[in-house]
Amino acid sequence: MKKYLAIAAALFLLAAFSPRDLLEAQVMGATTQEIFKQFSEHVVKIEVVETGSAAKASIGTGFYASGGGHIVTNYHVVSKLIHTPDRYRIEVTDLSGQPTQATVLGVDVVYDLAVLRTNRRPKGYLTLESKAVEQGTRLYSLGHPRDLGLTIVEGTYNGLLKHTLYPKVHFTGSLNPGMSGGPALTQGGRVVGVNVATEGEQISYLVPAERVFALLERTAKTQDPSANSFLAEVGKQIHANQARYLADLFSAKTPSVTLGPYSLPTKPTEFFRCWADALRRKEIPYVAITHDCSTDDYLFVSSEQSSGIVRFYHQLLSTEQLNPAQFYTLYSGQFQAGNTAVFGNEEEVTRFRCQTRNVQTRTGKLKAVLCARQYVKLPGLYDAAFRVATLGARNVGLVTTLSLSGASFENIQLLTRRYTENIKWHR
Amino acid sequence: MAPLGYVEILDAKDGVVERFFVESFPVRIGRGYGNDVILDDPYVCPAHVAITSDEQGRLIVTDLESVNGLRASAREKPVASLEIRSGSQFRIGHTQLRYRSVDHSLAPTLVDRDSRRLWLNSPSTAVIVGAAVFLLLCLDAYLTHIERVTFAAIVSEPLSTFAMLLLWSGLWALASRVIVSRFHFPQHATIACGAIVGFFLLSFSAEWLEFLFPFMPALWIAGLFGSGLIIGALVYGHLKFASTMRRYSRLRAALSVTAVVVGVSAISDYAGRSKFSNVMEFTGILKPLDAALLPSITIDVFIERSQKLKQDLDTLAQKARAAQP
Repeated sequence: MKKYLAIAAALFLLAAFSPRDLLEAQVMGATTQEIFKQFSEHVVKIEVVETGSAAKASIGTGFYASGGGHIVTNYHVVSKLIHTPDRYRIEVTDLSGQPTQATVLGVDVVYDLAVLRTNRRPKGYLTLESKAVEQGTRLYSLGHPRDLGLTIVEGTYNGLLKHTLYPKVHFTGSLNPGMSGGPALTQGGRVVGVNVATEGEQISYLVPAERVFALLERTAKTQDPSANSFLAEVGKQIHANQARYLADLFSAKTPSVTLGPYSLPTKPTEFFRCWADALRRKEIPYVAITHDCSTDDYLFVSSEQSSGIVRFYHQLLSTEQLNPAQFYTLYSGQFQAGNTAVFGNEEEVTRFRCQTRNVQTRTGKLKAVLCARQYVKLPGLYDAAFRVATLGARNVGLVTTLSLSGASFENIQLLTRRYTENIKWHR
Repeated sequence: MAPLGYVEILDAKDGVVERFFVESFPVRIGRGYGNDVILDDPYVCPAHVAITSDEQGRLIVTDLESVNGLRASAREKPVASLEIRSGSQFRIGHTQLRYRSVDHSLAPTLVDRDSRRLWLNSPSTAVIVGAAVFLLLCLDAYLTHIERVTFAAIVSEPLSTFAMLLLWSGLWALASRVIVSRFHFPQHATIACGAIVGFFLLSFSAEWLEFLFPFMPALWIAGLFGSGLIIGALVYGHLKFASTMRRYSRLRAALSVTAVVVGVSAISDYAGRSKFSNVMEFTGILKPLDAALLPSITIDVFIERSQKLKQDLDTLAQKARAAQP
């Protein structure tokens, strides 16, 4: 009963505005069933097929966004083709069940979007929502979850997320693998966002419509781009993106946290999440306090690679019971420990190379190790980890690690320097 | 009548199997019982050769038309006669013979080092060294123990190391018993203890070096060459008591062992390096030392040096790109 009341109230409110609103209001009364019936024909299944075996390597969803056959989907749905264009092709299937081949017109790796085109002229297409949507608005997401057939999922619009690298729509509804690239519609059938990710029960994310609009505009005039050039384009976009968000990281204004005798950087920007914990147990003759910050978010580059992850964690070790020799055995072990095995295979990244030195800062001496590797297919981008241990104290020590992925070497050097400058002794 | 010399039957290593003394020439050699030197070799004729002395006192071995002939050695062709002097060898059938005159000059007498009161030979040395090594192992276990200290936790690892040491020395002692008929257990145990101390000092100094001067791959060098040298020295020491080898041959044996150890670890190191891995190795070592005593560079220099890291990575990436289709 409550639900009907709400709809009635909405109808009343909307009726009070312009004739266009009035028209939409009538559609807004539509049931899920009607929405599915009306808009599902604009939604397609996208399969990336391995040319040799003709077997599908990945599936996703997309939707027609123009009368000219432009299809919007996620970059990660078609990333295999971008990385090895000679091994894959894209097949698009609409409700008729007849697959047609599609070509990529453009990608936005930062916002995880891609625009494709088929030669088939669609019967109709979906339009993007240009107005701001209010929190709580009912949304309907369409897609092919686990290739089970076209499905409609109800959910709610819960605003733009602020702690992410870029604004994402927080969609409260169940998105599942295979629905990626599908549209999330208002009751009026306008696209608010593109299904992109899920984080467990009901927490899902959409790429905002304005980014879709930007990419569609950019690709509107593209005729026949060669698929080979996209990798360079992906590299360029990641480059530009990391330059933007790393530029001010760990500047002098970075807030600090005090661990033992040290002052250390914490939560440098909004899009970092920080956690802290301590290990204090009777049977262990030392105390370990940890402080861990990382970006909640990353850019999907390929199934083996991601970019944009910045993580740093401090570990303070102190003891009242161990003698210096014992403590330094523990400390040395912690410094060398966690040889973080990250993703990556030989085709995509080089091996790590490391540099170890004793470094003098304004307030004390450190043991510093910088390890880095380069992306093979995206020249000029590196993964790096910079680890530091404070030296000189007998029963207290700090190991802190900064790891970056998909950054330029200049930025790695810049952040290494700034990070070091943010580690201070206050004695 | 005093003998003029001896005809000696030799084994494959030039050891003397049997000696026949020579009172006068000619000396007849063969399988027949009428000979001065009787050989049991089926490839030798009943009357095979004779050694005669001419007017100038030269000694000639003459083949008495034997089936298998006379040779200077197994590799040489048969000859009708052969001039020999003291120390010369010749071969008939499958038997190698040597003639030596009574005034044949000899090598100087070897000093028997075993019979002198060498500190290494004293069992009390082994006990003292063993106890010291055990204490050293316990001290190391204590200083590297990062949990609550208990007696059992400190002693258990040194005990097992020590048991291994005794087993190792026992095996060498057994080898000694077989080869030189004496066990020499205390000596082998002392030598093994020495190797443990060697390894200990090696890792201790390498760790400190690497801590103080991280740009020097001290641990890597110690791992590759240091341990090879210690193992070589260990073999040299053990062989002294477990073989009759002279110093030179022992040195050769020890150096070969060192070469093999270094070679194998170099190969596995190279294989490990050229294999792809996505593991970062933070190879920093930390030691309790006053910061003022620690050589260091500024962060600016650190960043500057990282340019070399970048170049390395660029080279690696270029190689990887070139390798791709």
